[in-house]
This record gives sequence, structure tokens and C-alpha cells, in this order.
Amino acid sequence: MLLVIGRTFSESLKNFVRNGWLSVAAVTVLFLSLFVVSLLFVVTKTADGILKNVQEKANVSVYFKTDVQEEAILKAKSDLAGYSEVKSVEYVTRSQALENFKRNNADEPVIIKSLEELGDNPLLASLVIKANDPAKYEAIANYVKEASFKDDVSRVNYGKNKEIIEKLNRLIGETKRIGLSLAILFAVISILITFNTIRITIYTHKSEIEVMRLVGASNMFIRLPFIFEGIIYAVIALILSTLFVFITLNFIVPQISSVIPKEIISTAFTGNILYLLGIQLIVGAFLGVVSSMIAIRRYLKI
Amino acid sequence: MIKFDQVTKKYKDDFVALEDISLEIKEGEFVSIVGQSGAGKSTLLRLVYAEEMPTAGAVYFNEKSLDSISRRKLPFHRRNIGTVFQDFKLLPKKTAFENVAYALEACGAPKNEILEDVPQILEIVGLGEKMEKFPHELSGGEQQRVAMARALIHKPLVIVADEPTGNLDPVSSAEIVELLLKINNLGTTVLLASHDKDIVNKAAKRVVVLERGKIIADDAKGKYKIS
Repeated sequence: MLLVIGRTFSESLKNFVRNGWLSVAAVTVLFLSLFVVSLLFVVTKTADGILKNVQEKANVSVYFKTDVQEEAILKAKSDLAGYSEVKSVEYVTRSQALENFKRNNADEPVIIKSLEELGDNPLLASLVIKANDPAKYEAIANYVKEASFKDDVSRVNYGKNKEIIEKLNRLIGETKRIGLSLAILFAVISILITFNTIRITIYTHKSEIEVMRLVGASNMFIRLPFIFEGIIYAVIALILSTLFVFITLNFIVPQISSVIPKEIISTAFTGNILYLLGIQLIVGAFLGVVSSMIAIRRYLKI
Repeated sequence: MIKFDQVTKKYKDDFVALEDISLEIKEGEFVSIVGQSGAGKSTLLRLVYAEEMPTAGAVYFNEKSLDSISRRKLPFHRRNIGTVFQDFKLLPKKTAFENVAYALEACGAPKNEILEDVPQILEIVGLGEKMEKFPHELSGGEQQRVAMARALIHKPLVIVADEPTGNLDPVSSAEIVELLLKINNLGTTVLLASHDKDIVNKAAKRVVVLERGKIIADDAKGKYKIS
């Protein structure tokens, strides 16, 4: 068996080299399919990462009027903590809010200065609520508006994050759709081209195949070189595509790191590299082997 | 050893190549099958090495119907049969040695066996000196002898020769027949299809005459005759 695999494999290597440009075409288009699949994978993983990031930061802030006593706020806090959708409630006092504000704007002397000139603390005490499920923020906000302490509430703040989350969800859906149709398109083209390449290999080896049959070579021995040829295409395409995804990311990540945190993209790639290679291997081998099989079925009479 | 039992072979467009053929060939026999082009000689031989299957009737090899052999096992049946053709069917990019070795490689023989057997068989067909020559460097007769060496490398039970001398001059043809007779003397059954009167008469063995797909004569010590 090992002998058969060795002999047929070296035969397929020879075919690969002799086919020249045909091999290049087959590998290129297989590579493109895999590349699109990989990029799609990295982009959706990154978008997922961003989404998760934003969702973690999402909350509902309930601001209380300045004349509300602390006991009333604490009472509201325990009330909210009892609500089933709420994961946690954090009380931010007016002075804490001021400190946070100062820290966040430490780079903006104008703001700090105008704050000092104001003399009084203009910020409101608030409860920061996190939900178990990001989709439930609206429900929580509505709950607050109907709650017993609703008259103490100055305003409820949750809208902003909701928009971002929705936008991201749409973006992910869109990328997945476009990417998937591109991947399918390339997959079809690569099957056609690989199939054709192997068909031509079979044709140019007509006399060899005839002789092999006459001398009683097993069907496996006759077929294997063509299947190996498909696998060789796939493996080379896989190596190229992984390399190119890596290069592309190295090129793109610094450019967009101001918009998207670098770690999210890198973890989307490195954290899933085995998974990515696995997907590529399955897709590549599938395309390569399926194309060879179709060609063998149609053109290799045994 | 080989038995045709009421075999009929029709091709796609209902062309009848063989009709109701019953024929038995015993082990060690040398049978010449003669007839004009299109008489069904090649079809008869193709049925023996299972390149074609009969439309009706059955072909038996060592009492086993070829119908009953699965496609997967077919290659093993073919290893019992060495084939030689008019156009030699040598691979042009391989030397004489490689052409013969290829038959062993394709069947999974180990390397040391190949290195031992191939020169030996080339010696037998008289090409010991020309092992490293490519087909285009050999004469027609020599190329056919390479093909014979390849057919013999599996030590087959039967040699099937379909017009082996069709492309050869009379001297080379005579040499090929002598070689076939020599192989036959060593115990291998030989099936020779030919329309060359001289070589059939030279063999002076059993002659089966085919005409339009039917056997019209079967003589144990036959001469080539066509009505």
C-alpha cells in the first residue's frame, strides 16, 4: 500500500510540474477561494469581537435630580437589583461622577478650567445598570420610567449603544452575505478549472492509462495520481492563502488600529489560526478532490 | 482453460461483432484466429482479457465466468493474461527497461524484484543489449519484442497477440512468431489473431477461422484459408 501511495504520489508531482500554466491557474483560483473564505472568517470574527466589546460596555444610566436624597437613590437601587433582567447596579455619587469626569478629560484644560470656574458640581448622581441580555436595555429603561421613583429621575440614558450594536449586527450580516457569495463564486470557478486541468492530465496520459489497465494495474493505482494532483493544488493554495491573509492583516491592521482596537483583529486571526487552517483544509481538499473525482468519473474509463 | 459458451457480442449501434461463438482453448495450446478485417478477431480477444463483456452467453477463464468478476478484481484477472498489439503500445518517454518495469510497478511489485526480473525477461526476448534504448531508437521488430517482454513479465498463463506482426516486415514477423512458439513451448497458452497467411502457416498450429462474427472452420493442424 505504501509502495502504491509513494509511486502514485510521485507520478502526480510529475504531472503537476508538467502541466505548467494549467497547474498555476488551478492553484491560483483555488487560492482565491480559500483567501476569500479566510478573510471572511477573520472579518466576521473581528466584528464579533467588536460587538462583544461594545456589548460589555453597554449600560443604562439613570440620572437623579440634584435634590434627591441618597436614601431614595439607594432604595431605587435595591428596587432595580430585584428586577429579573438586571445583572448589576452601581451607584455613582455626584462627587464620584465629578472625579470620573475630571479623569476622562484630564487632557482638556479648557474643560477642567471652566468646571473650576463653575464652582459648583454640575453633575448628577446616577445608577449604572447592566443587563443580562443586551436586547433588554429598552425594557429596563421603560421599567425605570414606570417605577415608584420615577419622579426623582432626571433622565435615562441608553440609546447610543443600542444604535452601535444594531449597526454592527447589520454590518456582520452584510459581510457574511457578500463574503459567502464571493466564496461560492470562486469555489465554482475553482472546481471548473481544477476539473479541466485534471481532465487534460487524464487526456495526455491516455496511453499510460491504457497500458496500466492492460498490465493489470489496480483501479486505485490508476486513479490515485489524479486525486493526489487535486490535493497538491489544494495544499499549495492553502499555504498561499494563509500567507496572504497574514500579510494582508499585517498591512491593514496598523492603518485601522485607530478605529478598531488592534487586539481584536489579531486575536481574531491568531486565536483562531488552527480553526482557520482547518476550515481552509476542509474547503480546499473538498474542492480539489471533488474536481478530480468528477474528471475521473467522466474521462477515466477503467 | 478458456471457454466461449454461445457468445454473442453486439456493439452500440446493434452491429453484431460475434454471433453464437462456442470455442474451447486448452492449457498450453497455440491457437491462431484468422479472418478478414472486421470478422471479429479483435472482439474475441478483447472478451478474453475482459475489455469487453459479451452481450449474450459467457466467457469462462479457468472455469470461472468473467461476468462474475467484480470491477475491483478485474485487474487481477488481467495479470493472468499478457497482451501484445499491432501498435506495440509502448510509452515513448520510457526506455525499454522502464517500459517493462512499469508493468511491475503498476502492480505494486517491490523494487528489488523489478531490478531482477526485467533484465532477465529482456534477455529472453533478445534485447539484453538494448535495455536503455527508447522506443524510437528501436526497430519495429525490437519494439514488438519489448511489448512481448512486458506481456511476459507477470508470467501470465495466456498470451493474447492481436495482429502482432501487422506493422512489421516479413523477417521481423517471422522472429515474433518464433518467439511466440518458444513461449508456447515453455507452457504458456497463446492466442494469436492475424490475417497474415505466412505467419499462421509458419506456426502450423490450430487455426480458427472467423467470418462475419461466426466460426466457419476450426482445424487442429490448420492452414490459413479464407473462402
